[in-house]
Amino acid sequence: MPSTLASPDYKGFIEASLLRRMSKILRMSVACAKDCISQAGIEQPDAIIVGTGLGCLLDTEKFLNNVLTIEGMLPPTSFIQSTHNTMAGQISLSIGNHGYNMTHTQNSLSFEHALLDAMLLVDEGEQNVLIGAADEAIDFLSEVSIALHLNLQQKLTSGASFFMLSREKSVTSFACVKDTVALGLVTNAEKEISAFLQKNDIPSNGVDLLLFSGSSNGLNAQVNSLLEGLSLEKARQVDYLSLSGIYPTASAFAVHYAADKMKSDRFIKTALICNTLIHSNLGLTLLQSVEA
Amino acid sequence: MGVRVTGFGIVSAIGLSVTENLLALREGRTGIGPMRFLDNSDSLLVGEVKMSNAELETKLHVSQKPISRTSLLGLKAAREAWGSNQHNAELRTGIISATSVGGMDRTEDFYKSYLADNHPDFAKLKTHDSGNTTERIAAELGISGYINTLSTACSSGANAIMLGARMLLQNKLDRVLVGGSDALTKFTINGFRSLMIYDDQWCRPFDESRSGLNLGEGAAFLLLENEKSIGITGNKTIGYVNGWANAADAYHQTASSPEGKGATLAITNALTKSGIDAAEISYVNAHGTGTKNNDLSESVALKNVFGEHVPFFSSTKPYTGHTLAAAGAIEAVFSLLSIRNSLIFPNLNYRNAIEETALEPVTALQTEMPINAVLSNSFGFGGNNSSLVFSNHE
Repeated sequence: MPSTLASPDYKGFIEASLLRRMSKILRMSVACAKDCISQAGIEQPDAIIVGTGLGCLLDTEKFLNNVLTIEGMLPPTSFIQSTHNTMAGQISLSIGNHGYNMTHTQNSLSFEHALLDAMLLVDEGEQNVLIGAADEAIDFLSEVSIALHLNLQQKLTSGASFFMLSREKSVTSFACVKDTVALGLVTNAEKEISAFLQKNDIPSNGVDLLLFSGSSNGLNAQVNSLLEGLSLEKARQVDYLSLSGIYPTASAFAVHYAADKMKSDRFIKTALICNTLIHSNLGLTLLQSVEA
Repeated sequence: MGVRVTGFGIVSAIGLSVTENLLALREGRTGIGPMRFLDNSDSLLVGEVKMSNAELETKLHVSQKPISRTSLLGLKAAREAWGSNQHNAELRTGIISATSVGGMDRTEDFYKSYLADNHPDFAKLKTHDSGNTTERIAAELGISGYINTLSTACSSGANAIMLGARMLLQNKLDRVLVGGSDALTKFTINGFRSLMIYDDQWCRPFDESRSGLNLGEGAAFLLLENEKSIGITGNKTIGYVNGWANAADAYHQTASSPEGKGATLAITNALTKSGIDAAEISYVNAHGTGTKNNDLSESVALKNVFGEHVPFFSSTKPYTGHTLAAAGAIEAVFSLLSIRNSLIFPNLNYRNAIEETALEPVTALQTEMPINAVLSNSFGFGGNNSSLVFSNHE
């Protein structure tokens, strides 16, 4: 069974009339996005970009059930809220935003792809981009993971994380996204990680915090040897799935966690998030503290 | 400024290749008819691709099963767009696809046996997620690295083309296959029925009597290349993607604003980006779904942007049906065909103009006009509006 989700008081972010019809993933996303916008002190971002691996599962399951079991006319709400772009659409609706609005869905790399798109926009001249990721667990997923013998080391869960990516550093800036890559159908992850660090001029002792996605998949023999080469003490190597649980866009949680660590520990200047949740997909994100 | 298109491929209700699609467009022949493949007990009008999954699997020599129909259709179109190109270590090659249903067709099969407790095959669910749809296409084509999927409902295909163009201009990739794919599913058909915007008759875009859409299925891909890539491949240019824009309507989760706010922004910004004057647009391939709401909102947007001089326009959805995430890519191929062959395709099933806007689409094949630049619109659920500008010049 999925673990219990820590939920904020959604009424502080979303009108009660809207809240009633919103599924878990929508509530999480809209509340999180609004909180992020207010923290950054930016009223209207130039763009809204969301990554989601599996989208609105609750409403998808509900509507699919209805389609296959009910004859005649069906209530449309769960269909309307089943599309992957519902989160980005609802966020734009809730703040009246007319900017670029995009949804990436590349299973475990959806967040990295969204982040890459946001970085492209900033390079193209946009000032502030709201970028986030969300996924929700449903009971049925646990059943699937057992039937497919996935032997998951952590519980399946839900999560949402949003960030304001800005072109200019401001008083509210607390970390800098130096680079990110999302690589599919990877055969040599070790080589890709080395190339990524080299491209960003990070020496083998230049990573102060490493966040990785568990040790239950085939890639890790290669990846482990490389990560050991970073000569980090154990406390600076964190399996972020042990904190977040498993969901396709959990690497967004890892970015949030790394940024928080940077705020509280000024010795952490460079953090690497290494996402190998699906063994053939490699996501790498490099964060630097704003002082670095 | 423009990004070169050097390959294109398509599969839709009107044909399994670019040549077949062009022929049907020239002949004004629709591909919409009663359902045959998805469920032959239903007489609903749909734009099916006239080939079963088994035939597609055999023809495409698919190496690994199960595979969703969405991947099969996508692979068919992507192979045609890729053509005889070779992999080259010098060239960073990526793929961006768009889908709204992903492997829902297989999930429906699974879920039926699951509900009946009849030995459901859980392995089918591995094809469910949208990302897998694209990965399977990439794997069959031997593409690894940048593999991405966008899902912004009916504007997804246009967004894939836009993102691909941006990736090339920012030198993140040297060449990229961009497009979209969606199979017909009970999920989407019943979804649009539940919204009461599925027409039991032929869809009639921009007609006063329009009362909804007919769904279709299909896929299309374009191959975009930068100068470095063309230097190596020597590929000829089919046309250019010159402008693009994406804007949020922020009006309603499923309906478009009556004043066409998001659509107007998307069209205006795409034209600005292209550097092509509104007066130089020869043809608009409209989103034109045939719903009351979209066609009115889009007509208002066209008047907002073009004033009294709305260019020749038509919706090609009466040929293919509304192919959701594939629509933007399919209509990009039609836009390029329009430019290459100096053709404007007629808007089938049209009789009387929408009262509020009085705009009349093209109703007969136009063959005498040079077509230099085409605007293609894709508007969707969630207020996701995108427009693209194609032309015959950089």
